[in-house]
Amino acid sequence: MGKEKLIPVLAMIVLLIGIFSAIYVHATMINKETITIQGKEYTIDQVFSITQTKTIETDEGKKTGVALDDFIKKIGFGCAPCHNYVFKAGDGYQQTISWDLMQKGVLTENRKIYFPDTAHALWVHDIVEIEVK
Amino acid sequence: MNKMKLFVGIIVFGTLWGFSECIIGSSSADTGLPTGAIMTGFFALTFLVMSRMFYRQPGMQLGMGIIAGGLRLFNPFVGCHICSALAIMAEGAIFELVWYKLSFDFKELKNLTMQTSMGILTAYLVFVSGYIVTQILTPVIAGSGFYLENLIVFMPRILSSGLLPALVGGFMLPIILLAKNLDINISLKDRYYYPVAVGISTFCWVFVIGNWFLLSP
Repeated sequence: MGKEKLIPVLAMIVLLIGIFSAIYVHATMINKETITIQGKEYTIDQVFSITQTKTIETDEGKKTGVALDDFIKKIGFGCAPCHNYVFKAGDGYQQTISWDLMQKGVLTENRKIYFPDTAHALWVHDIVEIEVK
Repeated sequence: MNKMKLFVGIIVFGTLWGFSECIIGSSSADTGLPTGAIMTGFFALTFLVMSRMFYRQPGMQLGMGIIAGGLRLFNPFVGCHICSALAIMAEGAIFELVWYKLSFDFKELKNLTMQTSMGILTAYLVFVSGYIVTQILTPVIAGSGFYLENLIVFMPRILSSGLLPALVGGFMLPIILLAKNLDINISLKDRYYYPVAVGISTFCWVFVIGNWFLLSP
């Protein structure tokens, strides 16, 4: 196939990939107000009632929320430092966070996690699940 | 082409690309505009295609990516500077690969269908590859480690996010290629070319680094 046919065909293919991916993302989007942790549902109020809040300084200012390490210890997973924690957002985005980082982070009332001095890519928004690995 | 002239061209076009990423990209990020689509489909595509049009040298866009990424390291506004810088460098490399088989006089892009298709293809692949590089490098550099399953589950989102840059690129490339008709001659006299190129590059670097010193926390 010559370039004059190949390039328009490839352009159509990438457009179709983009369109079908957008449809898939929209169809699989999870909209809920609770956070699933190892099969159990927690409302954000429950999360805040379990543990104390702390404030951290980020490059976007101060963020106040539940201390992630304290929260994980309080809900009881045995050896908390032995695990990694996968924070999953409603749109499919997820990040695996090590215990070292968990000790610095907070979970805010609008279900976002923040860490000081880290890339914003680790700040998962709209959290719907925390998986313990 | 004179190697010094090409080297200065890489610096000035790479600097303009990096400057647009640092200053325009950062300032438009808070406006709610689709910054990624604008930066790739409009600015990156414009600088990459124009430099290829004017200089007609292989490897130039890869060099521009390195310069633009280097400048991006000095931008204080986004968390992972290194990741963004490497993503820009990857974008320059992907552009080189996508355009590798095309002639430097763009004779294949003589009709609107080809121009639009190439704009769509280039912007999509450049944007998506930059996005993937960022997703891989950010957790590594942040110390959290890269997990393939995190990337795989997020791939549909990444692939869908390339749609808007692709549409912008498809619209922009025919417009950028109109510059061919202007018959802009890069072989300006050396006494004008070098001072203008060095002046533009110096201004952009001083502006971005000055911004870093003034605004970084």
